[in-house]
Amino acid sequence: MGNLELIVEKHSERIHHGLEVLPNLRHGLPEGLGNKRWTAELILATYEMALTGDLPKNGLEYKTGNSGGGFDVLGWKNNGSAKVESDKIDLSIELNKRDDGKKITIPLPIYGGGMSFGSISLNFMLARARAAKRLNTFMSTGEGGYPDDIVPYRDHVITQVATGMFGVREETIQYAPIVEFKYAQGAKPGLGGHLLADKVTSEVAKMRESSMFTSLYSPFPFHSVYSVEDHKKHVDWIKTVNPRALVSVKVSTPTDVDMVAIGSYHAGANIIHIDGGYGGTGAAPEIAKKNIAMPVEYAIPKVHDYLMSEGVRDEIVLIASGGIRTADDIAKAIALGADGCVVATAEAIAVGCTHCGNCERGRGCQVGITTTDPELSRFIEPEWGETRIVNLFTAWSKRLRSILAGFGLENVRDLRGRRDLLVRYK
Amino acid sequence: MGKQEAEGGCGVVGLACNVPLEGKYLLQSLVQMRNRGNGKGGGIAAVGLVPEQLGVSEKILEQDYILQVAYLDKSVRKQLEDEHIRPFFVVDYEARVDAVDDYRTIPGLEVEPPEVYRYFVRIKGDVLEEFVRKNNLERLKESEVEDEFLYQNSYRLNQQYYSSLGKKKAFVVSHGKNMVVLKLVGYGDDVVKYYRIEDFKAHVWIGHHRYPTKGRVWHPGGAHPFVGLHEALVHNGDFANYHSIMEYLAQRNIHPLFLTDTEVSVLLFDLLSRVYKYPLEYLIEALAPTTERDFEMLPAEKKRIYRLIQSTHIHGSPDGPWFFIVARNDVEKNAWQLLGITDTSMLRPQVFAVQEGPIKIGIIASERQAINAVLGKLQEDQRIPGRFADSYWNARGGSFTDGGAFLFTVKDGGDGKVLECADKFGKVIDLPKQDWLPNSGSSVSLNASIAIQLQKGPKAQDPLGFYDYVRPALRDAGFQYVGEILEELKRLAMKGQESGQFAIKTLSVLYDRIYDTGNKKRSSLLQLYREALNDVFSSISMSNSDLYTRLDWKNRSRLVHPLGSQVLVVDALEFPAEGDESAARFVVDAHTQGWKNILLYNLRGHRFIGSGLGPRTNGLKIDCYGDVGDYVASGIDGCEITVHGAAQDQAAQILKYGKLVVHGDVGQAFMYAAKGGDVYVLGNAAGRPLINAVGRPRVVINGTCLDYLAESFMAGDPYNGGGFVVVNGLKPSFDGRYVEQEYPYPGSNLFSLASGGAIFIRDPYRKVSSEQLNGGRLADFTMKDWELILPFLQENEKLFGISVKTDLLTVQETQLDPRQVYRKIEPITLQELA
Repeated sequence: MGNLELIVEKHSERIHHGLEVLPNLRHGLPEGLGNKRWTAELILATYEMALTGDLPKNGLEYKTGNSGGGFDVLGWKNNGSAKVESDKIDLSIELNKRDDGKKITIPLPIYGGGMSFGSISLNFMLARARAAKRLNTFMSTGEGGYPDDIVPYRDHVITQVATGMFGVREETIQYAPIVEFKYAQGAKPGLGGHLLADKVTSEVAKMRESSMFTSLYSPFPFHSVYSVEDHKKHVDWIKTVNPRALVSVKVSTPTDVDMVAIGSYHAGANIIHIDGGYGGTGAAPEIAKKNIAMPVEYAIPKVHDYLMSEGVRDEIVLIASGGIRTADDIAKAIALGADGCVVATAEAIAVGCTHCGNCERGRGCQVGITTTDPELSRFIEPEWGETRIVNLFTAWSKRLRSILAGFGLENVRDLRGRRDLLVRYK
Repeated sequence: MGKQEAEGGCGVVGLACNVPLEGKYLLQSLVQMRNRGNGKGGGIAAVGLVPEQLGVSEKILEQDYILQVAYLDKSVRKQLEDEHIRPFFVVDYEARVDAVDDYRTIPGLEVEPPEVYRYFVRIKGDVLEEFVRKNNLERLKESEVEDEFLYQNSYRLNQQYYSSLGKKKAFVVSHGKNMVVLKLVGYGDDVVKYYRIEDFKAHVWIGHHRYPTKGRVWHPGGAHPFVGLHEALVHNGDFANYHSIMEYLAQRNIHPLFLTDTEVSVLLFDLLSRVYKYPLEYLIEALAPTTERDFEMLPAEKKRIYRLIQSTHIHGSPDGPWFFIVARNDVEKNAWQLLGITDTSMLRPQVFAVQEGPIKIGIIASERQAINAVLGKLQEDQRIPGRFADSYWNARGGSFTDGGAFLFTVKDGGDGKVLECADKFGKVIDLPKQDWLPNSGSSVSLNASIAIQLQKGPKAQDPLGFYDYVRPALRDAGFQYVGEILEELKRLAMKGQESGQFAIKTLSVLYDRIYDTGNKKRSSLLQLYREALNDVFSSISMSNSDLYTRLDWKNRSRLVHPLGSQVLVVDALEFPAEGDESAARFVVDAHTQGWKNILLYNLRGHRFIGSGLGPRTNGLKIDCYGDVGDYVASGIDGCEITVHGAAQDQAAQILKYGKLVVHGDVGQAFMYAAKGGDVYVLGNAAGRPLINAVGRPRVVINGTCLDYLAESFMAGDPYNGGGFVVVNGLKPSFDGRYVEQEYPYPGSNLFSLASGGAIFIRDPYRKVSSEQLNGGRLADFTMKDWELILPFLQENEKLFGISVKTDLLTVQETQLDPRQVYRKIEPITLQELA
């Protein structure tokens, strides 16, 4: 073993050890960990679920944070004893509700959101792809190209086409069962994408075919799409390249998000993916985070109701993201009107993210997630990460089942739009 | 008040002609742009009408307002007339607007279109007096008072019968003089068919498809065009500042009723023109302000006035992507106008064109193929010599060069009506006086020397050699002579495989190249070449074992793998423009079968040609004839595509590797996020070429670009495999030379925020200035740079005949050192990008 291997081995070992022991609270809640949305308890609970595949047994709060708003002030009206046997409950959702095209069902109402190669390490990307394969769900490439190493998982990888179209080539569109157009990101709508110079290593630059160590900006609009008929044409283009692909349209949540949703429906989208203002991204300016896009809990009912009133709700899948941290958040989003959720930060937490928010610098991530540093990025072994993510989702599935059982619902699809089951605290 | 109708984009076309043209000439272009609408709103406007067709005298047509009321609820007509028409107006003539008996006979029409009544009205004298007295309007001219009365009356009518309490029983479709508007829930071409206006004549037309997305029940009231008073406006786009404009209008006591940003646009237009009486130039400035360097480039006096206009009206200036086409009756000047205005950032597609022949016609549309569709139909009916305009161009929004707007005016000339074209500043666009193709040519036997030349080698096997040989003849001889050459080439095409190949290649060279055509219009020659090429292509038999074999839509299932190096000729005419069975997918199928040479003809806006082929398509060659649609060559990776003619918007998006040759202009967002490719463009690129391009694109643009060239260009180190763009800033003159454009690059933004690659621009007069750069730097052009670009310029010479020595390096008849001719723009390390 060379020196580097020894250093990596030592650090990984200590990180893994920490993730195992911290949740048992022998040393109390670590100071400085977390924030009001992602509280220290939620982070530790996530570590615990990622370790055990089960809900925390030691009283760690795993349902809500402490933000004083949003999902944290929504609770369940009656979540009493199980009225349905847990193993009879179906958590699966369809991702294509139209009459034509391929039918895709995922066994739980969750898939992984876009995090690009460059913003995260290849190993973490691989861990996500492997987990998506094992869970029979999906993860998204984000906008940074499609590394060859994830091609073996392509049946579970969504190709994102975002405004910079970095790394988007015909074959990456052709690999994908689902192509995701990213029009905007909830954390920074109208600001495009950023990848700061430090992270643009030779590998990242090669994948994106750009210059090394120069910041990369994705424009805020698609320069080929300034209106809905352009969008239709854009969708037609992708369908020419890959006629079998389902189309997801990811947008942020402006006040007229309902208009955007119906426009996407008419242009042929299978999935409308709304990304609210709490979404995580290390590279978004502080002023943008949480301050531009509508919180997703407002956007979901707005879009759901509107699609209902237009009579097209059952032809399009509504996916919510942007601050979905827990199984309870997912269930609440569904009760508000979504079909399912996309998560990304929670997957990062599962492999040791502390939500410190220093993602934008290349060496900033001390646990090797949002880094392109060749040394740091080896802290996450793909198999280990895969297990942690699978465990987290397994634990979440248990919680989802218990929520549904409490309401006597046999099917997660029956929870959709059941706002009557929610209660607002305070 | 909220915007109730979500607007999307649209398909728009407008035409103006010195003779009245029938509505049917809009049909084909609207059919070919159906993919820009969704069948939820279509409309037309016609200005400059023919009195006999309306059943009135010339005098009535000139004097009266044509009040057209659409009755959604037929039962309210009597009541409406008694309340809003009979008490105030002398009705000189009235009639129901003709329509087909049963709307369901028009496929796709789901909502019954409104019944429209047309009233030719004058305002009663006492009514007008009372109106003047009550409102203290003594200062106004009588015509102004009449306009205002009519306008207010229509407003009240709409309020009562349309907007109040969601009644939607009737509304005024149009009320201007010598103009009519019709609209329904459907496509624009449905309007032409439903209201039977195929043979209805007008000097100015606009047609529109709408793409609204909100509401299950769409309404004809929401369809375009919307009217002010003597103008009708269609709109493609959407404003970001709708609410700000609503406030601006509310402050001026104007309250829209139909709740779309298109209505708001025309209200703005009416306010600025009728109330503020702004000349058109200032009106356009108020809508689309001149900004950035373009503002600085204006003369001092204009700057002063524009500054005042901007500070007064900026809140009423629509912000965001929009393109307006306005049809208008300038009553005072007795002129009918067609106007196209683009937003300052040029975010919507727009093409202008003009053709002069037995009639003179100006056209504005979302796509060039739609322009050619109008001309094509006119040509088929032998109204004009050819389906090509003499000139096509884009407006540069908010610019000091053309102001981002062009105006076609039909007015009285010495002998009947004339059509004039001018830009925002009033600069008239003149065409050179050249001959056009006579409608019927007589065929005479071929000049002996040419025939001999065609029949013997070695030139017989060398299309370029033959082209050089006949060039003097193409300049000096008449159309008939050219026709004879073409007849001989067509005969050769029948003779065998090799001579067939020679004929196709020679015809293509004649079609593609720019050369001196003498007194003959190039557009007329293009018509001859196109006809000859189509004759040759159509005579190729289906599914045979010759070098060329042909398939069309009906025989598409006969596609099998090729024999050797066969060329597959595809008649694209009846293939859909997009979708699973599109021409683009057929090309993919053919490639999958092993075809390496594919030639498409009769393209009419077919999109995505070259997409879907997947990675590593080296060795595949695709030739496109006709009007290729948007996204051509997008995503190609290895193959070679030649567009014989112009390409449209979004060409070569994410192009990875391979070669693209365009014998004409390219449209908006050219090579967006391209990764590579060797690309040669004969003409101009519109807005935003090469935005976000990375990797190694090597591009030669022989014309220029509207603006935003190579923004965020990230194509590495050009000396080490990175990318670059050469801009030559030339244009073909009407006598077939390459001449310098007035500015090699007129835009305010060049190479902004670029972090890699380089721009090499032919700028012998050093007109490009650092004010145009935002993150780039003008650097010394060295011999190393010359060595880098020379091979590409040599290839450019081979492809287009643009000589490195005599066209590019020669300035005012003196050959200069490349360092005196070219300039280099390189990226600098920006704080923002570090």
